[in-house]
Amino acid sequence: MNSLASLTEKVRTFTMSMSTSRLRTAVLAGAGTLVLASCAQDAPQDTWAPAGEYAQEIHDLQWPIFMIAGIVGVIVMVAVTIAVVRFRDRGQPIPEQSHGKAWLEYLFIALPALLLAGIAVPTVATVIALNDTDDADCIVNVTGQQWWWEYDYPIAADGSICGFMPSGEAAPIVTSGQMVIPTDAKVVIRGTSRDVIHSFWVPKLNGKRDMVPGRLHTWNFQADRPGIYAGQCAEFCGLSHANMRMEIVALDDADFQSWLDNQLEPYQSPEEGTLAAAGEASFITNCSRCHQVDGLADADGNPIVSQPELQVWSGAAPNLTNLMTRNTFAGATWDLLNDDCRDEVWEAEPDIFGERYLEGVTEECLNEIDLREWLRNAPEKKPMYADPENLEETDGLVRGMPYLALSEDQIDELVAYLLELK
Amino acid sequence: MITTGSKLLVGSAVAAWVFAAVYGVAQEGALGTIGLVSVAVALSLLAGLNVFVRDSNVSAMEPASFETAPAAQATARSSLWPLLVGIGATSLTLGLATVPAFFVIGIIAIAAGALEWIIQGWSERASADRAFNSEVRDVMADPVELPVAGAIGFAVIAYAFSRVMLGMPSKSATVVVFSVVGAIILAVGVMVALRRGISKSTLTGAFSLGAVALIAGGTIAGLNGEREIEEHHDTGYIAERNECGTEETEADEKASQTVAGKSNAAAAIHFDGTELTADVPGYDGDFETLQLPRSNPNNILFYNESDHHARLVIELHPAEGTDGPERLCTALVDEGGVQLLTVEFDRPSFALAADGEGYAFTVPGSDAELEVVVP
Repeated sequence: MNSLASLTEKVRTFTMSMSTSRLRTAVLAGAGTLVLASCAQDAPQDTWAPAGEYAQEIHDLQWPIFMIAGIVGVIVMVAVTIAVVRFRDRGQPIPEQSHGKAWLEYLFIALPALLLAGIAVPTVATVIALNDTDDADCIVNVTGQQWWWEYDYPIAADGSICGFMPSGEAAPIVTSGQMVIPTDAKVVIRGTSRDVIHSFWVPKLNGKRDMVPGRLHTWNFQADRPGIYAGQCAEFCGLSHANMRMEIVALDDADFQSWLDNQLEPYQSPEEGTLAAAGEASFITNCSRCHQVDGLADADGNPIVSQPELQVWSGAAPNLTNLMTRNTFAGATWDLLNDDCRDEVWEAEPDIFGERYLEGVTEECLNEIDLREWLRNAPEKKPMYADPENLEETDGLVRGMPYLALSEDQIDELVAYLLELK
Repeated sequence: MITTGSKLLVGSAVAAWVFAAVYGVAQEGALGTIGLVSVAVALSLLAGLNVFVRDSNVSAMEPASFETAPAAQATARSSLWPLLVGIGATSLTLGLATVPAFFVIGIIAIAAGALEWIIQGWSERASADRAFNSEVRDVMADPVELPVAGAIGFAVIAYAFSRVMLGMPSKSATVVVFSVVGAIILAVGVMVALRRGISKSTLTGAFSLGAVALIAGGTIAGLNGEREIEEHHDTGYIAERNECGTEETEADEKASQTVAGKSNAAAAIHFDGTELTADVPGYDGDFETLQLPRSNPNNILFYNESDHHARLVIELHPAEGTDGPERLCTALVDEGGVQLLTVEFDRPSFALAADGEGYAFTVPGSDAELEVVVP
């Protein structure tokens, strides 16, 4: 109490000591900072910068509504300020009290009602339009879990994936973090969750859609031009909710075809005797219980099938097949590319973006620092309740990636191996 | 003269001292003696205080206080709340020996009775004006009494009604009785609305008669017990008993199981008698293959559009070391019926392919098959 009183006294003394002009300058400086903050250029999740048909529909709705709401807000604030200043208590007698003016009251009821009715019509029309999943060009199944997103691409009856015919044999593609889609295509995601409610939100391409366990929700995306569009889980989902990000990567048709064919390339083991080969063995020992790498086989040639449901509470772990074709890891929280290489991809012009993206992660471009820290102690880098002493609530299953006590040599081997997954 | 209250306290104090002395000598128990001496001391103090203030009686020398002295106030009215507390105590004791419900009822009755008794006692001493005191009591008690009375009333009506409905010999009879009673209530309501001159006593009589009939009917029906209602098993129960063939099994053919499950299903599978097709949210038209995620419950709605009973079956090929079911199936679904099936896959399809196996929905008794791909 004493410290509070002392603080209050200090604030009072400080404000009293400031001259009126200084106070005005300080207020203006604060307001100016706030205004300038809204001019940020590097805002990958800017809701006012639509980059696709559905985000544009939302933008076309929110902009006039924001204008109307802003004008109404300004009128109300000015009226209140005038009333407060003009009719402030100067010791004058209390004015004559009346029951008000009926016509004015009717007007103040009718005007907002008309405004709201006027806003409701385009709002409902937009909601209906955003939920129309007819005539999809590309379907992607999206599954959320603490704290990453899984994407799998179904094979259509004609063998195509997202409307593109693979050069080789079609097989399900499972990836995570980054969802790759063809530019200009109408992409319908079929989303659900494995544990708690998540919300899929890529602001530049569409609004939010909750993903509820046991239920399937559809949502549309379309990107006007090639590029990476960042998103964020928008429903609080636990300790690392803030670290549950996602990115949609839009590629033009030729690049998407290349990406698709590359994803379906058969797995190739690293050359024997290399560090990567040792990494493959280490991966089989330490990682393959949870992480699937399609095509990975044991010494007898039997496919290695991960069983994350026996280890992880959500029952899933990211499929790491072709990991280095993605730019991110650990729920798209960290980049696999170092800063320079990342900028080259993110800031690439649309006509060369696909080429840059398809280069994937090379040894020179690898963000080794974050990847090594992750392998060294994942729960320390991303809070995940993975404390082995605190697993009663989950029947011994971990949330996210646990601490694996890997040696530095094992980490060297694993990094070398993961770099081969392209 | 020693006042009445003082006599009681002085007598009690003396008795306590005597009992303390007797107990102390006869039983030699220190703890009991300390307790009794404490009681005796407390009573002695109270007795002394009461003698000093003379029971708070007004001194004959102060006639101005005659009107306001407690002794001059009206006596408290008789109260039925102690009776409720007594019933509650009996019920509580009974509950300790018999069923817990009596114990709970006893606690509620004691709490309610004590609260009401306290409010009544307090309000009757609020002023010398009985009408005002009564008003004070209502102000205090109504916000509690009215909602509680309303809730109890609704609960009695709902419970009695449900007993009557569940006591009917069949579901059809229930529908008939419900319709007739509803029509009678509507008719009475219309009559009351049209005949505004209807007397208050007639209305009270009609409502009382209805209430008595309802409670009596509910009591009789409750004592008779519910009619026999068939138990409907879920799909897991059927699969556990391996009743996934063409055999007839009892089940709710229209079973939705859960409303939440029916909405936002992963797919709707249709059986037309010869083949299975999937209607998948997000896709235009039907699909011949379903791709469903691994390690996640998938809600599937099975629509039997054939002209005979059918069930949907899937072999799950669980991984070794897991305790999941070998297969899952719906009940035998009526023509035109629909049922929910929740399936979860342990292993990806490629893991089964090595053994020449795969996931597929089938309908026993037909060649219909719908491939499922688990990535």
